[in-house]
Amino acid sequence: MTDASPGGDAAADGGHEVARGGDDHGHDFPGTGSIKRWFVTTNHKDVGILYIVTSLFFLVLGGVLAWLMRIQLLAPRALGEGILAPVAYNQAVSAHGLLMVFWFLSPFAFGFANYVVPLQLGAKDLAFPRLNALSYWLYLFSGILFGVSFFQGGTFSGGWTMYAPLNVPTFTPDVGASTAVLALVLFVASVTVSSVNFLTTMHRMRAEGLTLRNVPLFSWTILLTAWMMLFAFAALLAALLVLSSDRLLGTTYFAMESPAGALLWTHLFWFFGHPEVYIVFFPALGVMAEVFQTFTGRRIVGRKWFILAMVLVAIQSFAVWMHHMFLTSINLQVKTLFMITTIGISLPFDLMVFALIYTMLKGKIRFTTPFLFVFGALLLFIIGGITGVFLGAVVLDYEFRGTYWVVAHFHYVMVGGVTALVGGLYYWFPKMTGRMYDEFLGKLHFAVYFVGFNLLYFPLFVAWETPRRVFDYAPELAPWHQLATVGGFVLGLSFLIMFYNLFKSAFVGDPAPDNPWEYATTAEWAVSSPPPLENFDGTPTYRDGHLEFLDAGEVAPSEERSGGPTGAAVSDGGVTASATRAVTADAELPTADATEVEGPSHASIWPFVLSAGAFLVLLGLSPLQDAAFPEGMVGAAYATTTVAGGVVTLGSLVAMGLEPFRGPVFEEGEAWPFAGIDNGKVGMWIFLASDVVLFGGFLGAYVFTRVAFGWTGWEPIPSDPIPGLVNTYILLTSSFTVVLALVAAEKKHKWGLVTSLGATFVLGIGFLVNKGLEWQHLFHEGLWLSTNVRASTFFLTTGLHAAHVIAGLVIALYLTARAWRGAYLEDSRSVEYFGLYWHFVDIVWLFLFPLFYIL
Amino acid sequence: MVSTKLYTAIYVVLFVSATVQVLVEFAGLSYWLAFGVIMVLSAAKAVLVAAYFQHLRFEPRSLTYLVGIGLAAALALTLAASYSLL
Repeated sequence: MTDASPGGDAAADGGHEVARGGDDHGHDFPGTGSIKRWFVTTNHKDVGILYIVTSLFFLVLGGVLAWLMRIQLLAPRALGEGILAPVAYNQAVSAHGLLMVFWFLSPFAFGFANYVVPLQLGAKDLAFPRLNALSYWLYLFSGILFGVSFFQGGTFSGGWTMYAPLNVPTFTPDVGASTAVLALVLFVASVTVSSVNFLTTMHRMRAEGLTLRNVPLFSWTILLTAWMMLFAFAALLAALLVLSSDRLLGTTYFAMESPAGALLWTHLFWFFGHPEVYIVFFPALGVMAEVFQTFTGRRIVGRKWFILAMVLVAIQSFAVWMHHMFLTSINLQVKTLFMITTIGISLPFDLMVFALIYTMLKGKIRFTTPFLFVFGALLLFIIGGITGVFLGAVVLDYEFRGTYWVVAHFHYVMVGGVTALVGGLYYWFPKMTGRMYDEFLGKLHFAVYFVGFNLLYFPLFVAWETPRRVFDYAPELAPWHQLATVGGFVLGLSFLIMFYNLFKSAFVGDPAPDNPWEYATTAEWAVSSPPPLENFDGTPTYRDGHLEFLDAGEVAPSEERSGGPTGAAVSDGGVTASATRAVTADAELPTADATEVEGPSHASIWPFVLSAGAFLVLLGLSPLQDAAFPEGMVGAAYATTTVAGGVVTLGSLVAMGLEPFRGPVFEEGEAWPFAGIDNGKVGMWIFLASDVVLFGGFLGAYVFTRVAFGWTGWEPIPSDPIPGLVNTYILLTSSFTVVLALVAAEKKHKWGLVTSLGATFVLGIGFLVNKGLEWQHLFHEGLWLSTNVRASTFFLTTGLHAAHVIAGLVIALYLTARAWRGAYLEDSRSVEYFGLYWHFVDIVWLFLFPLFYIL
Repeated sequence: MVSTKLYTAIYVVLFVSATVQVLVEFAGLSYWLAFGVIMVLSAAKAVLVAAYFQHLRFEPRSLTYLVGIGLAAALALTLAASYSLL
């Protein structure tokens, strides 16, 4: 494992920890040379390195799949010819796309984000370090789950866009296809946790004087990326959960007989999918901006406008998705509207490109390896961008859609982004390892990479008439495809130079100074290479317009926080979103340690265990069809796996809640727009905002399907609204008891608190029992999830809501038990945050009830 | 902040308006008028819960905007997708 690569020279890092982390609290934190360290670490820099190494592994995996495709495409093939069987080719195409977009590109960028962003902000870690480790482990296990799918009869073979109806078991019957979808669900859980964490950190934990205007450009791109991820991935989660339900439980949203099922998928997928383009590209843009500034020695031209353009793109990215659907049955008016928004979104990009070019012209360029890569990336992105404008025009898209023009265009954009990120790897490598890479080998890598890239992708523009996702094409195009195949091998092999260079340099490269790059101005270069465990010795501040470090004595005393003498130490874990989107709050923990003043914690095994549990749950569920496990031993084994995974998941959630873990210490500096609101509360609200979009996706799917069916011809499934009304009463009452619980906690009234929480729990159970009876009744009437799409939407949407109730009840039970033992009287934040979640579940029901019972 | 008495009053209002929603259904109004009344009642209840039970009224406005952005995204998807069918 190259995990160990920073080990040798990071002894200083490890030594630092021993000195600081050597507490008697059971949190002994091993050095970077120890394997154990990498399983328990919650430190943002370690997690960043884990992300980078893991994502590079998936790059190699996705790359090998691409090679297999390119070998198959050396000549037009009939069925059965070439090295790949037909379905194997389809699997290679689909898996290559999914792995590269989800498991390589974003995580690679977020490796840098993890490492660099807290340093650029002047924070000692992310707001919720354990949730950060959880994001990583969920990501790794989702990737392993995807890997497993290859061995369950074959992975998903319907293309990375997973279009309906190919995505339902009628057409992709392998268990592995379901597993691939579940792997994506787990990946989205990781992304959601990560978005909440980054957004809380970046808005709340900036050093004094570091207003958003002054935040370095790489951090700016990550901030916007995290915002887009928060909402876009929630829509994807809705799409994936509906798809999982169609595959595993037998609902019929995307079935051929459902009205507009195929169109529904394209809407849900591309509502996510277009922001996703910028989600993967923005971090690359941030790297370009940083590296351009450093190696031209000039601040970016029009910085304010550059930022404004990015903000505009981030917002507009949610209003262009139907340009992926010009050949579907959507109406011409909406096509025209989305053509306009699409052409419009290219304008801010023009501004950014010109800003970068001007920066070069006005500065003095130094052609180092990172600069070469980002400069190359700019050229590639210009080609990719211009060819994309063709696709944004409705009429041209009629011709280009489904051809290699599209393939060539998005590879220029996306792999263009990769090019910049590779530049970022060289740029920050000295910071991460404390050693310089070999400059000659770096430049050689760039030369081979750039030649290979263009040899691979440019011929695809020429051979654009090749149909996409198919291994047969007009014979006269063969020479272009052969050129591309050669290019594919050149591009892939160029990475061997990089791996050799970086691996060797990590151990024997020249020691890197704090700042090996003249003119690099961001804060990560103001600390040692690699930085100490807690980043800064003093408190960073930009009070006087430049970075300074204040000793403890110079810092103005922060406001008295609720309770303990730990002062600014905030607890981690305000929000825990697991694969089931359960939420726990354990903010009472600091008071347990109130008498001891200690440094923050850096180790927890539970994120790893929790992720392993979630992995087992989803693996176990993968062979379900029509809500039943297969017969015999295999089915029993899968069912057992699910149960075991559930126990592990639940157990580790509780363990994580009870674990005394101290989050990073920080003085509230710049916190716009969330100044004065506790990190845990901000995190909870950010999570709830994404949950709004999740339910929005489900309700949107319901409304859309009903419109396609004919709105008024659609009768509610329950013939009698009274059971639903009773449940409304129950849920409203339970919301009221949660309010009473918080009032009791604030009045330090222990038994009032316990009684109110207990009442909430009982009411929640009552809600579920009532719903269970109602469902039982409907089943007896012969209605089932698969009866028709009307029944599917009823059972699945109210079922998702019930799942939220169950998650809430688990937390309510935990809180009741803790309150029984006297918790939350000093610090009622956990009860408050749970209330925010519970009331949200109540609000959702306020809309589900009329839509599914009355109207 | 808010007295228990006010919380109780809000709870009663929520309880009653849920009942009214069902009564509207049986009142024999035209479908779309009933639809409008019922959805407005749902929205009003949601606002009450968010403003008082989730005490957004007493928080910095940024949290309200945050939820509003999520809501806007969900509505954009629902409305534009449904419109594309027409």
